[in-house]
Amino acid sequence: MNILPQVLINGILIGSFYSLVAMGLNIIFGVMKVVNFCQGELLMIGMYSSYFLVTTFGMDPYLTLVIVVILMFIIGGLIQFGLITPTLSKDGSGSSQIFLTVGLALLFQNIALLSFSANYRTIKINYSQTNFNLFGQIISLPKFISFMVLLIISFLLFFFLSKTDLGKKIRATSQNPLGARLAGINDKEIYIVTYGIGAALAGIAGALLLPFYYVFPLVGDIFTLRAFVVVVLGGLGSIKGAFFGGIILGLLETIGAIIVGPSYKDSIVFITFIVILIFREVFQSREG
Amino acid sequence: MKKIKIYFFIVGCSVLALLPLVTNSSYFLHIMIITYYIMFVSISWNILGGFIGQFSLGHAAYIAIGAYISSLLLINYGITPWVGLPLGGIVAGCFAMIIFAPCFVLKGPYFTLATIALTATLRNLFINWSFVGKAGGIVLPFTNNPWVYMDFISKKPYYFISLVLVSLLIWFVILLDKSKLGFAFKTVREDEDTASAININPLKYKLIATFLSAGLAAIAGGFYAQYIRYIDPDMMLINYSIEAVLPAIIGGIGTVGGPILGALFMNPLSEYLRASLSSYISGANLVVYAIVLILIIRLKPEGMIGWLNVKFENLIRKVGKFDKK
Repeated sequence: MNILPQVLINGILIGSFYSLVAMGLNIIFGVMKVVNFCQGELLMIGMYSSYFLVTTFGMDPYLTLVIVVILMFIIGGLIQFGLITPTLSKDGSGSSQIFLTVGLALLFQNIALLSFSANYRTIKINYSQTNFNLFGQIISLPKFISFMVLLIISFLLFFFLSKTDLGKKIRATSQNPLGARLAGINDKEIYIVTYGIGAALAGIAGALLLPFYYVFPLVGDIFTLRAFVVVVLGGLGSIKGAFFGGIILGLLETIGAIIVGPSYKDSIVFITFIVILIFREVFQSREG
Repeated sequence: MKKIKIYFFIVGCSVLALLPLVTNSSYFLHIMIITYYIMFVSISWNILGGFIGQFSLGHAAYIAIGAYISSLLLINYGITPWVGLPLGGIVAGCFAMIIFAPCFVLKGPYFTLATIALTATLRNLFINWSFVGKAGGIVLPFTNNPWVYMDFISKKPYYFISLVLVSLLIWFVILLDKSKLGFAFKTVREDEDTASAININPLKYKLIATFLSAGLAAIAGGFYAQYIRYIDPDMMLINYSIEAVLPAIIGGIGTVGGPILGALFMNPLSEYLRASLSSYISGANLVVYAIVLILIIRLKPEGMIGWLNVKFENLIRKVGKFDKK
């Protein structure tokens, strides 16, 4: 079949975006046990920031990445410091955080609607139509660049978490918050850094998506739910799992679209998600 | 103490029932109808989300199912919505029980995620299902028999229907709150192991709460379809699920008065902002809504009712013993 390699490539490409958003979600969940319902909206903010920089200052979309990362890290840190950390101590069940992050999602969507209107927007860059040939397959240049940057960012994240001091502190807090605090780690600081990183990862995904995708206020909805699917596929708290889970989901979507038709793509993804979620829980409770 | 609440309820209902005599503005009536509708949905959500503590973010699905069932029965078989509404409620309640039953092994945020995913799946299926009109949805025709087919031109009948529906529901929830069933729900919410130990099967009560919650939401959906006279699969977007949850959280989750207070406070405010601001900035009303929500969770997690209760308590303590819960 001639179409299959192209389908696989597309699946891996879109899957790598799911990976990045899901890694952000996973690191936040791993450390604070907060299910972040506004992860997709953070991606949307990343997209709009990049869009604003490209259209206003004529920057190259890939150059805006540097600014977007810093901006998103600051926004994420502020959200954690001002809103999420104070509710963590009050409520252990996690229900406040569900509605808090849902509220944030609603807020961000409507601020985007206020500032950019509901129109679908795209940017024009002079190499957006450039294609090149790789092993007989035609690949568009912006998609390829985005994919490469995504791989580099994922690698950097692995490196950061496993080798650096701060990364080790984050992992320690996620494994045992009390023990980490006893060892002299300031958990409030770690929370801020963690949410900052989670937001920055979503922002990076957004900025990288912009060159070949359209941006609109509700674009995050597509990614929030899929990021959850990936996290459940790859295992909670596992960054590697999120990376491969994202790619698997991308493949599942594109291959599924070929088999049962593109209009049922969403159903496949979500039913798989629910089934895995329930089976995982049943098996875990049997073992535990 | 009990009498004060009942008097308050009766006086409140009669004042609201007299409102259409005072004003003739159909815009005002529209805001009130939507407020009652949101209140109804939010009270229904609160049975599952508040009383038994299962946070569903998929109630839009049951609202939509109720709307679709009563509309399809009306269009295809000529069955009046007066029958279609309760029928839709029962079907949606049973449907919700069947699909939620396996989901109840999931705890906390995972249950919420499953409800979101189920609703998204259902929307995707409805978009591709020609029997329900695919993505285009259904337009409800007008007949010449408004009292039989619930298709009034004037807004006043809708106002009274929605007021009666929501009053009946409030009365039901007040009874539920103090009933054995209500206490069983709260026991399951607080501690499932304790509940099992005293012979309260958590799954059974979760399913009962699901049936009530989804079925009532579907009745509201049926009414909404008759009022707006147009439905489409976008009714199942997550934002409409959130819309059902917000009044309960802002007002006070798990209480009888919470969703009522939340809807009465937020919905007219939101509608007012939409009308006064949206002509040049759309989305401003929801920004305000979201900010109120975030502030409430951040500063007063028990909702407005917790804050009001303290004020009322001091006042009513002089009249008689006032029980807070």
